[in-house]
Amino acid sequence: MTASDPSPKRESRSWLGKAFDVLSGFGLATILLIILGLLTWFATLEQIDRGLYATLEKYFDWRTPFLLPEIGGRMVPLPLPGGYWVGVILVINLTLGGVIRIRKGWKHIGNLISHLGIIFMLIAGGVAHHFSQRGNMAVGEGETNDAAEDYFEYVVEVAEVKDGKPADIHVIGGRDISDLTRGKQRFFRFPNLPFDLEIAGYEINALPVSVVERAPSGSPLVVDGYYLMPRPEEVNAESNTAACYARVVNRDGSKQTPFILAGASFHPFTIKHENRVFTVDMRKRLWPMPFALRLDEFNAEFHPGTTRPAKFVSHVTRIEKGDESKVTIQMNEPMRYEGLTFFQASYGPPGAGPGQKLYSVFEVVHNPADMWPEYSLYIVAFGMMVTFLLKLFTYLGNTSRKKNHV
Amino acid sequence: MSDQPSRAGRRIAAVIIAVGVCAAFYNMLVDMMPKGGLRSVEGYIPWSKETLREVETLPLQDGGRIKPFGTYAGFAMLSIHGARSMKLADAEGKEYRVKPTAWLLDILFRPQFAMRQPTFRVDNSAALEAIGVKPRGKRDRYSYEELELGREKLGELVKGFEMIEAKKRDPLQNQLADLSINMRTYESLLGYFSFARAGVVLPGSGEAGGPDRRAEMSALMMTAPQIRSQIEESRAAGNAMGGRLQGLLQQVLDAANFAKFGLFVLPPAEASDKQWQSAGNAIMNVMTGSAKDAETSIDDVKALEAIARSSGDEVAFRKHWAAFREKIEARAKARGEGGSVPLETIYQRSDKFLYAVAFFLMGTLAALGMWFGGGSKLATGLSWAVWGLTLAGLACCVSAIVMRCIIMGRPPVGNLYDTIIFIGTTVVMLSLIVEWMVGRRFALGLSPIIGTVLMILARRYELGDAKDHMDPLVAVLDSNFWLATHVITITLGYSGGLLSAFMSTGYILMRGLGLDGGDAGLRRSLTRAVYGMICLTLFLSLVGTVLGGIWANYSWGRFWGWDPKENGALMIVLWTLAILHGRLGGFLREWGLHLASVFTAIVVTFSWWHVNFLGVGLHNYGFTAGKSTIWGFYLAMLVVLIFGAVAMVLENAKKGEDRA
Repeated sequence: MTASDPSPKRESRSWLGKAFDVLSGFGLATILLIILGLLTWFATLEQIDRGLYATLEKYFDWRTPFLLPEIGGRMVPLPLPGGYWVGVILVINLTLGGVIRIRKGWKHIGNLISHLGIIFMLIAGGVAHHFSQRGNMAVGEGETNDAAEDYFEYVVEVAEVKDGKPADIHVIGGRDISDLTRGKQRFFRFPNLPFDLEIAGYEINALPVSVVERAPSGSPLVVDGYYLMPRPEEVNAESNTAACYARVVNRDGSKQTPFILAGASFHPFTIKHENRVFTVDMRKRLWPMPFALRLDEFNAEFHPGTTRPAKFVSHVTRIEKGDESKVTIQMNEPMRYEGLTFFQASYGPPGAGPGQKLYSVFEVVHNPADMWPEYSLYIVAFGMMVTFLLKLFTYLGNTSRKKNHV
Repeated sequence: MSDQPSRAGRRIAAVIIAVGVCAAFYNMLVDMMPKGGLRSVEGYIPWSKETLREVETLPLQDGGRIKPFGTYAGFAMLSIHGARSMKLADAEGKEYRVKPTAWLLDILFRPQFAMRQPTFRVDNSAALEAIGVKPRGKRDRYSYEELELGREKLGELVKGFEMIEAKKRDPLQNQLADLSINMRTYESLLGYFSFARAGVVLPGSGEAGGPDRRAEMSALMMTAPQIRSQIEESRAAGNAMGGRLQGLLQQVLDAANFAKFGLFVLPPAEASDKQWQSAGNAIMNVMTGSAKDAETSIDDVKALEAIARSSGDEVAFRKHWAAFREKIEARAKARGEGGSVPLETIYQRSDKFLYAVAFFLMGTLAALGMWFGGGSKLATGLSWAVWGLTLAGLACCVSAIVMRCIIMGRPPVGNLYDTIIFIGTTVVMLSLIVEWMVGRRFALGLSPIIGTVLMILARRYELGDAKDHMDPLVAVLDSNFWLATHVITITLGYSGGLLSAFMSTGYILMRGLGLDGGDAGLRRSLTRAVYGMICLTLFLSLVGTVLGGIWANYSWGRFWGWDPKENGALMIVLWTLAILHGRLGGFLREWGLHLASVFTAIVVTFSWWHVNFLGVGLHNYGFTAGKSTIWGFYLAMLVVLIFGAVAMVLENAKKGEDRA
């Protein structure tokens, strides 16, 4: 019988009871913790070659039931369950064993509180994993911006040019195009536009290259003398530039010549239809903010005589429905407002000289579980403190200090 | 009930301990010994103690903070020479030990000696062959005079690969790049006072065909407005600048360039200006008319000239240096800077960590006597000696850490060096607390041993890294609240994990070698102490990890970023949780708990040290010092684990036989 196992008659238990015993047992908890430790260790080593984003997808995404780790590009023949599912089973184990099955009483109250705190923390992780959103916003001194840009997701934007500006913007989300690899294509209908689009040949990281400049290997689709040259995924996933082929489908069902859409292109593709002009562009998804930010002043301070940063401070004005509020955003002091948090991330341009206008880059995060880990910490720390203090006092009380020594 | 301790076990233990103590002594001696062979520098005269004590207190700016001249000299010598002392002999064979302040004074004021001193550490003789200098052996130390022959070639070679990232260069390229940086640093110091040594030749001033007269730079600086107006007049008249004037200005430019880097000893005139000036800056600013306070700059240069001129007469030299120092101190004080310079000088002079190693080492010897003495009166006496010596070592460490905190104006841990001294100190402290609670003289004996090992590690790391670890932190780390909470907690977690592993190592060796005589009571109390330490490690690591997540959430907008350092901390949490659950579930009994506890040391080392070498993540410090030490440590722990596993199997088999 284990310390928290109050049931003396295991043999007579039903299969449901036995399943409960296994799911709530210390054995399962120990195995899950060791597996999580192994996953964390392998993921730490694998991110050196594979990059963080791809490694996290491999190790901790819900779509990964099992995986084979790699170290230095070599596969390790040790199949491991995906971290997401190990975490799910751990929550079940914690709930059944650490909350329901655990011995009750004042001696165990600390453990119960700690377990509840950890469950809360894991749930916070799950909520952040599924529901948080991240992006970055760059604003130049004296300029205003009201949209952040996603770090990874490339979308296709179709807009009509009115008065020299894009209007009536239609967006095809990344999840609708990122699976269009290896000959797959998809038709996108735009009832408000005089045409539709067909998209195919998505590449997560590719460049449009001229056939004159570099002859293609294989037989890719060549459009206006250009083709998409796939490149290996970058270790830093933010640096990938996605690309695809697209073609306009007229209302009568006829299709025009394909064209290339690439994240690496500087200008959008232009379509003329009667007297109207449209642009089609591939770019990182824009995330509209409920307010705008104007960068009034940016200061970068360095420790004297070194290139070691001492302070980055952005003085901004938050503009919301005509109301203006002055805010300072700096390292360790983000701006939290309306469920969004703005962090001082970086600045530019690199190597700017004195008097040159600077821009500030903010990391923008929306996380419904933003402060939950902090609350869970208080709960866990309190629970553990109770447990360990009780154990310490019991230990001190019981210890009979013997005279014989080593 | 207990049996007699195994005699063979004692012998093995004695051999292991003897090897360990010898290694510690060797490390300590190697650390203190001057590096490189004895070199003869004809006519060498050592600086007097009074001069050195006076000189090392001058405040200057380096690495983003104000520090004493002595500290600057120490790290400059460490990075170029690879040690803090050098052995020289004069023509008569009389030997001198040259320490950092004297070494830097030679470079600044006595180039004739400095250039012949074996200053440059070269670890790969191929680097010398590449630049056309004949090497003496695989690795040695060379003088500037010896390397000067290959200076041009070195510059050419480095230009070819200096744009390549350091980690993508081959070892030879890195050695050449390091040598080139060291030579440039050295040259910037060597030429710093050339403006004061040579003055300025006034072209065409020689009378009756005699040589041209020389003027002091400070005197020339006084005429800067006239020189500028002469240039303006020439320009306005559309005339080319006269050859004499051009020659004069070229000399000023050269002198200012030589004194542009190296020592930033002059506080700026404006309070808002954070950057201190070098003599070269002062000269250039006055000559170009951009000086905020030209009069002070001229006075400063005049004072530096007086110092340089008097370098042959130590009494006068000291007098001029003291006058200059007092002036600089007063100006720094008025700016609210340099307040910690006197304390830092005391810190550097006192070298408390060296004393700590000495106390811990003596404590280790006393501990060995105590353990081998069993229950004798001598052992009891020695136990008091262990307490005294360990506490003395601990006092040295604590006072040094407190001094560092006051000097840095921040909590004790902000970089890897800080973690070593902090962990060394807190492990000893925790070990003594365990001893106070358990009272078996086991943790007591371990305390000085662990203290010795970790303090030697700290000194070795400082030597290898050769950087001033009290320099200010980067913006994102500059938060005293988080440094005092997250960093301290997580580092204490490392201490707890290491102590539990060391106690278990002791337990495994003791039980495996039969040194405990089968004393079940002793084993039980040690097991409980280790269990308690693992609980403490879990508590500190978990709280520290979550606090780190909260800090990251404030700084970067994410609670968890899978950064290697964060992952390492999580691994400690997961491993200690697995141990506790394994123990509660009955899967880990005494042997199992101790073997798992030893493995904790590997997990902690990975988190504390190893992740820094991976080259990824926000906590990547980009250093390489100590990489081989890690693998050595892993191997040692692995040997303990294998030994423990074999001992456990043998013991269980014996028990089975006895039962049968």
